[in-house]
Amino acid sequence: MAEPSAAVRVKLWDGPVRIVHWLLVVLIAFSWWSSGDHLNWHRWSGYAIIGLVLFRIYWGFAGGGAARFASFVKGPRAIAAYAATVGKRDVSTTPGHNPLGALSVLALLAVLLVQVGTGLFVVDIDAFEGGPLSDRVSYDVGRAMAEVHELSFRGLQALVALHLVAIAFYAVWKRTNLVGAMITGKRSLPSDPGLTGAPVWRLIAGVVLAAAIAWVLSKGLRL
Amino acid sequence: MASLMSKSWALALAVGLGVAAAGGALAHDDKMPANANAATKAAYARHENFEKLGASFKGLNDELRKPAPDKAVVAANAKTMNALVGALPTWFPRGSGVEARPMSEAKAGIWTDAAGFTAAATAARTEVAKLNASAAAGDLEAVKAQVRPVGGTCKGCHEKYRQEKKG
Repeated sequence: MAEPSAAVRVKLWDGPVRIVHWLLVVLIAFSWWSSGDHLNWHRWSGYAIIGLVLFRIYWGFAGGGAARFASFVKGPRAIAAYAATVGKRDVSTTPGHNPLGALSVLALLAVLLVQVGTGLFVVDIDAFEGGPLSDRVSYDVGRAMAEVHELSFRGLQALVALHLVAIAFYAVWKRTNLVGAMITGKRSLPSDPGLTGAPVWRLIAGVVLAAAIAWVLSKGLRL
Repeated sequence: MASLMSKSWALALAVGLGVAAAGGALAHDDKMPANANAATKAAYARHENFEKLGASFKGLNDELRKPAPDKAVVAANAKTMNALVGALPTWFPRGSGVEARPMSEAKAGIWTDAAGFTAAATAARTEVAKLNASAAAGDLEAVKAQVRPVGGTCKGCHEKYRQEKKG
């Protein structure tokens, strides 16, 4: 991929962001596969996704640099301004998510929350399998949850497809390698945006908190 | 900028909630028309009965997952299941499929492969009768061992003779 000539290599995505991203890729695919006949694995995959999504939301507030929502969630004017330039055939230089991509990030997180949130209460048609909180709701409510769970997965599939199309568009049209940055964490940018990381204790606190919540939910709130 | 940013948040949340609301609307069952004929009435009554069957099996399974299951609750749910499954073959009068209710999940195979369907229904009846006997005797271990075969007959029949509802 061509990069600007006067480029500096910048550490853009921290370890937690990259790990969460790639684990979500693997686990969403695994959850899809296991939803048919491997519901036990499907549940465990779901608990892991709950932990990852909760951690990512926490990290959006407590993390550093390009992980912070405040660094990339922009208002409608900034989104419109970016959207007006997105078709230009030049290398993208946004240090992190661009204002348009920010919407995709938030929508993905929202749909994932709906996905795992409904999954907790799902009851399958045979009333034999269910989420860890399915005993708190009636069969009817559990079935309705199952339908939302299935429909929101269609929404998730659409968002993932859009995500992949956008990556291909940036790679081919804008000659910007976004995948490499999500693997190595580094991007070449015209200047150093001066991103600062978060202290390690915040990372540990977030991991412990997210894992604890996911664990308690997996136990059906019974300890 | 803060208020503009919250608009972006609202937009993203709206996507998630919109998906959820659409799902909720989809999950809502249609109402039986006032002038429904016998076949249509049968299609709606069948749906009610399957909901009762699902609710009783769920009630039984939920009870079994408790640290100290109440034998009376297990027995009552098993008894309900036994009565419902015994009557199940009568819930499918000819003509009560999607032609009677577009939302019906009954596949045509129920009637075109009547022998196969009857065999599947009989298998369910046999397994639920065992479940009911153990539950009535208060043998929770036997009930626990029997829920999987029962669930298996539900699933086996659903995979062959049930379709996802339309609309």
